[in-house]
Amino acid sequence: MSFRNSITIVASPRPRVGKTLLARLLTDFYRQENHQVAAFDLNSGEWTLAQFLPQQTTTATIRDINGQMALFDRLVSDDGTTKVIDLGHESFESFFSVAHQIGFVEEARRRSVAVAILFPVTPDQISVEAYRKLCGRFVHATLALVHNELLGPAQHRDKYPLSGATMMRLPALAPGLRKYIETPPFSFTDSNMANAVGIPLDAHIELQRWLRRIYLEFRELDLRILLADLQSAMRARS
Amino acid sequence: MARPAVILVGADKGGVGKTTVSRTLLDYFGAHQTPTRAFDTEWPRGTLKRFHPEQTEVVDVTSVTDQMKIFDTLGSAEAKVTVIDTRAGLLSSTLQALGEIGFIESAKKGQITFAVFHILGSSIASLEEIAETARVIGDANYFLVKNFINNTTFFEWDPATYNAYFKKIKGAEEITIPKLNEMAYEQVELASVPFVSFIGNKSAKGEAASNSFVLRGYVRHWLGNVWSEYDRVKLIDMVSPKVENNVRQVAG
Repeated sequence: MSFRNSITIVASPRPRVGKTLLARLLTDFYRQENHQVAAFDLNSGEWTLAQFLPQQTTTATIRDINGQMALFDRLVSDDGTTKVIDLGHESFESFFSVAHQIGFVEEARRRSVAVAILFPVTPDQISVEAYRKLCGRFVHATLALVHNELLGPAQHRDKYPLSGATMMRLPALAPGLRKYIETPPFSFTDSNMANAVGIPLDAHIELQRWLRRIYLEFRELDLRILLADLQSAMRARS
Repeated sequence: MARPAVILVGADKGGVGKTTVSRTLLDYFGAHQTPTRAFDTEWPRGTLKRFHPEQTEVVDVTSVTDQMKIFDTLGSAEAKVTVIDTRAGLLSSTLQALGEIGFIESAKKGQITFAVFHILGSSIASLEEIAETARVIGDANYFLVKNFINNTTFFEWDPATYNAYFKKIKGAEEITIPKLNEMAYEQVELASVPFVSFIGNKSAKGEAASNSFVLRGYVRHWLGNVWSEYDRVKLIDMVSPKVENNVRQVAG
């Protein structure tokens, strides 16, 4: 668990790569870790995250300055919450363009808030280029590639030369279990989950096992954010 | 000791952003620790003074007394850079007056560094001013400033016509002021503080303000681009050759 707040942005310029599922899992992970969590859904018109987690999620748009102020001013506000952003592919470019211009990551750091970007890996050139650009623009953010195993076994490491050694894994959920988690509203933290949606016991056990593997990956991500922060603090001191 | 520098900011029409440019100049020299004073010729009620009250004095540039206040103190003032925000319609007559008091002659002899920031409007009339102004100022450092701050579509001029005027002036340089988000601009206006203070989230009294982070971010990005233009034309070297030009970070 982080000892300070973080903003995690789940982003890819491609649709249907598992962003919303990742954002749901992250939000529920932090809730389970007893964080105050605010999730932001930037998928204009769809608002899938908001349907799954209506209590935690705010829908947002950054098409105009009022929307940008409503979102970014709240993101950097010192309100003691952990924030998760489900960034729709249509808003990818404009979000990061505004974030870069206004110095979003630097401002968050000044307020002791870490920014992490989770980027589901796909082999297309648009994604590779977008990731490369993110690395250049946001040197103070922790960037993590995510291998969504549902998209296939290949990690495409060769295509992402800047990715370093680590890559987060999102294990594929067995096809028979997906139906249980795909009807909103749905929270993974719901202790009554099995009863509520009528999941058989064996399926429930399997689901919990899958969840534990993912939460382990999230804990490692938290450690990486912490480590990156310590490294930059040491660099600043030396 | 560095010789005094005078920067005249002007245009022969109103509403083209003279005061905005003057404000960016005061912020720029402030960031470079270059002592600067300003005269606002929008007498009796100066806009520049509202943003930079401590550095700015409102003067009537047509009165001899005020001309003395500005030019007789160039050598003795603590500030080595003097920015004059010339009221609409007064650029040509101010230059004329400068010629008459021998100021332009002193600049030609190298006793004073003199620069003109000519802010361009969108109409063809202001092109004709260029030729007129250039004739008066001789060898001064002449900057033609295209101010896009409030506009996306701007000059309706024919580039060939513009270049014909532009090339008439020996050593003239172009400066482009990029567009700033309208709401960000308005909020700085309302706050009545220097751009740098707005970025640093400070009120006019130096207390913590509550400006939107997004708007501050836009202003910081914009001001950074404006200052890059000033760096590009080596403005700080021109007015203060001995000061190291190493300030790249906007406050905040």
